Amino acid sequence: MYKLELDKVIEEIKNRNSKQVLIQLPDGMKQKSNKVIDEIEKSTQAKAFIWFGGCFGACDLPLGTEILKIDLVIQWGHNKFNKEQW
Amino acid sequence: MVELLLIPAQWEGEIKFTQELKNYLEENNVKSIALFASVQFTELDNLKKEIENLGIKINTTKAKRTNAPLQILGCDSYEDSFEDPIIETSDLILYIGDGMFHPKALLLAQINKEKPKPVLILNPIENKIEEIDQGNIKDQLIRTKRNLRMFVSAQTLGILVTVKPGQQYLNAAKNLKEKLEKEGKKAYIFIDDTINLNQLENYPFIDCWINTACPRIGQDDIVNIPQPMINLREANDPIKALEDLEK
Repeated sequence: MYKLELDKVIEEIKNRNSKQVLIQLPDGMKQKSNKVIDEIEKSTQAKAFIWFGGCFGACDLPLGTEILKIDLVIQWGHNKFNKEQW
Repeated sequence: MVELLLIPAQWEGEIKFTQELKNYLEENNVKSIALFASVQFTELDNLKKEIENLGIKINTTKAKRTNAPLQILGCDSYEDSFEDPIIETSDLILYIGDGMFHPKALLLAQINKEKPKPVLILNPIENKIEEIDQGNIKDQLIRTKRNLRMFVSAQTLGILVTVKPGQQYLNAAKNLKEKLEKEGKKAYIFIDDTINLNQLENYPFIDCWINTACPRIGQDDIVNIPQPMINLREANDPIKALEDLEK
């Protein structure tokens, strides 16, 4: 099992006072997305949504989320990366 | 402003030093290892101790795009992706993780080497090992050479740019277009989010494509499409890239 760190996620949502949260999971973890949403909705006031598409890395973040008034994107399976400069 | 939170999703289970791994290391008389892992499996203190107890030296480096010790990303797939040349100075590359995407990066990083090192995968979920070698990327090598030759003779080029922030290189694409057009070629820049290679067939006027997004598109996905495609870094000096592969 991979650590979902839901306690940390809940704490971060509360601390940031996030109103609309988008979760993004890699393919191997997408089957856990309902569990994550259920926990967020149970433990916080935030509305939570699931990114339907790809999650290839920290290089691959959902775009256009401002239009939907998403204020926090949570991505699993990756950490901070350093973009190569060209 | 949208905020971002990254959860690495560390593996909860124990990463075991299996008898199968011990046997492999002893049978192959391994004296030194270049150790890599995907971010879920980077807590390896116990495993490292067990390996060192066999008298094997463990070499580590930092892959340039990463921020966790031992970590490798799928885009660390070129020789210069690492701060130290530990692949050359080790007998074996040991990768801890599941799937083939990351360990194949370690093969691709040696694609131009005369004596590439095999990669041994320890999958801690299944507690199994598997060795992969250059045979696993043979098709990529053949296709990359063919594509480089086709790029050199192409007259009309298509440069692919993604809007994904971590992979977006529009300025580099514009610079490349200018360079190509100074050489008498014609280049068009195409923009998308996830690069859908099925779209290529809609642009039959393009002789060869240049990918500026994830480099694995121009290293792996090229074997699944008939259209020639190379990566941005090869486009800057295709002749040298070809010579390196044909050494």
